[in-house]
Amino acid sequence: MKALITGAGGFLGRHVVTALLDRGAEVRAMVRPAAPVESLGWPKSVEVYRADLRSSRDLERAFDGVDVLVHLAAAVSGGEDAQFAATVVGTERLLEAMAGTSCRRVVLASSFSVYDWSAIDGTLDEDSPLEPIPDLYARDGYSVAKSWQERVTRKACAAHGWDLTVLRPGFIWGRDHAYLAALGIQVAALHLVIGPLTHVPMTHVENCAHLFALAAVDPRARGQTLNVVDGEGERIWSFLGDYLRGTGQRGLRIPVPYRLAHRVVQLAFGTVFRRNLKLPQILIPVRFESRLKPLRFTNRRAREVLGWTPPLDFQTCLQRTFQPLGPERTAA
Amino acid sequence: MRAALIGAGQIARQHLTCLEGIPGVELAAICDLAPSVAECAAERHRISRWYTDHRAMLAEVRPAVVHVTTPPSSHLRLAMDALEAGAHVVVEKPVTSTLAELEQLVRRAEQTGRTLIEDYNYLFNRAPREILRRIETGELGNVVHVEVSICLDILGPGGFADPNVRHPALALRGGAIADFLPHLASLAHLFVGRHRSVRTLWLKRSSSVLPSDEFRAVVEAERGTATLSFSSSSQPDSFWLRVHGTRMQASANLFETRVTFDGLRPGPKPLRPFVNGLVEGKDVARAAVGTLLRKFTGGPGSYEGLFELLARVYRALQNGTELPVTLEQVLEVNRLVEALKPAGEEPATQPLRLAGGREGGRP
Repeated sequence: MKALITGAGGFLGRHVVTALLDRGAEVRAMVRPAAPVESLGWPKSVEVYRADLRSSRDLERAFDGVDVLVHLAAAVSGGEDAQFAATVVGTERLLEAMAGTSCRRVVLASSFSVYDWSAIDGTLDEDSPLEPIPDLYARDGYSVAKSWQERVTRKACAAHGWDLTVLRPGFIWGRDHAYLAALGIQVAALHLVIGPLTHVPMTHVENCAHLFALAAVDPRARGQTLNVVDGEGERIWSFLGDYLRGTGQRGLRIPVPYRLAHRVVQLAFGTVFRRNLKLPQILIPVRFESRLKPLRFTNRRAREVLGWTPPLDFQTCLQRTFQPLGPERTAA
Repeated sequence: MRAALIGAGQIARQHLTCLEGIPGVELAAICDLAPSVAECAAERHRISRWYTDHRAMLAEVRPAVVHVTTPPSSHLRLAMDALEAGAHVVVEKPVTSTLAELEQLVRRAEQTGRTLIEDYNYLFNRAPREILRRIETGELGNVVHVEVSICLDILGPGGFADPNVRHPALALRGGAIADFLPHLASLAHLFVGRHRSVRTLWLKRSSSVLPSDEFRAVVEAERGTATLSFSSSSQPDSFWLRVHGTRMQASANLFETRVTFDGLRPGPKPLRPFVNGLVEGKDVARAAVGTLLRKFTGGPGSYEGLFELLARVYRALQNGTELPVTLEQVLEVNRLVEALKPAGEEPATQPLRLAGGREGGRP
């Protein structure tokens, strides 16, 4: 089986490449034209395909001999329009190119950000409501882009009769990516921990990549939408403690009750801030909720459908994230 | 009046937000080559129709005004089609890639009896308008010189200097900086009039895909002189306008709300620097608070001038009165823009597209 992986040079992508190789798949790794790949340490069997989804012509050729597209490419920073262009327009161009090929299978990396966090109480799962229109446009650029990316992908797959699996990861963490937006507000060494006992919907990058590789090769994943979390998630307070210890940073954690902080943000937004959507994310109620709302999370469906269990436990994930690299890894 | 947009990117969003607040304007349709971009903009701004073919949109919607908010190399063709369809046209800066293209467009606008407006939004920010008011009342005296200076980091990833995708502005002679020349030129033209001679310096300080990242110019004009500059390296980001009059000097940062005046005041001459310092300090503190409040309470921010400009354009079109930007002004500003550009051929008119390609892997 041959897989085309977009965003292969990214944080998740490089691990998905490894996970697919481990499953015996052939891999064509799509990376941006100027992206360095030497430091990724991929074996020679990985075929590097340089293209930018926003502009490259001849994307069709990237699908030569490909059985499954694992579409991870998305912008995680930049202005809202730049994110939309890179994530949504890029997807539109990629799928348009795929239409002229024999590839008929797509695994899409979506996100927890597509859910309507304000409307959900209790457990967030695959049946939870998605952010409706026009409320979506009060969300941040990343959420808008990921919602639209899923929308255009579902539309293209339905139009062409392709098999689609949508995986929606929570916060993906790992080495150099351990500070999560759910950890609250940091001002110098001061950490305001909003809802300290709230669970963080998190998946270690290697666990997440493991599920992506499984979904790409396992026919039971076809037509499924699966949330990706390693379990119920660590509590914010304890994970921030792990983070501070792991990075050797000094920091003072100050607990703030979620309901109190949420009420203050709601009041301020409706009055002094006049519903201004250009405020910092944490001061806009719907964005505040999508980062911090205390909900429960589960990977029940991934377990039931694919028999998946995350291969690494939390302690191993911590070690892989924070332990210094050995000399051979550093040199690589 | 029925308004339509061609191009639904970042600047289009500013136009749409402005138009939503102008009485008597109906946002009738929007067009973009990317279906998702057009549909998303239509959904977000409650526009009933969206298109990927601008000609189909012009034919079916018959808008009274068309806003062209696409990359500059497409402006001539799109604005021409809009004029042909009987619409007035508001074009984002730079209005065209070359002066020759603009002259072609102006001729067509005159033939069709429609108007053509280039977006000179910064002329309509509060600070330049206040400076103009003080010139008109005589407080500032005669303008001797104007300095316009933009310091903006355009070397960061994902923008003009993106190594992965060639930015459309790089199709302009002068590259990314040429995208800002209409701002510099329109402000110089506002305060000192038509240019007579120009001396320029184009430099490259940093390693990037940009042909130049620093620019300086000295302009001699009919009512005074101007120095214009653009720096990609100087920080923080700022947009300084300094107008030197015979009785007063004005200084404004157009990215913020700051505007201060340093003038001849009554009282003993030795105390003037002290009094001017106190007054300036008070104005700076007030502007700092104003800039902060503007960030927290919303509003157009540094695009305030676009809101004012478009409100005036639609008012003039509705009432048949004089437009805030005239065809003659657009031509004069662009003659200065042309004189400011570096010598040489125009780069490729269409942005280059990177071809996908494989490397390594199995033979």
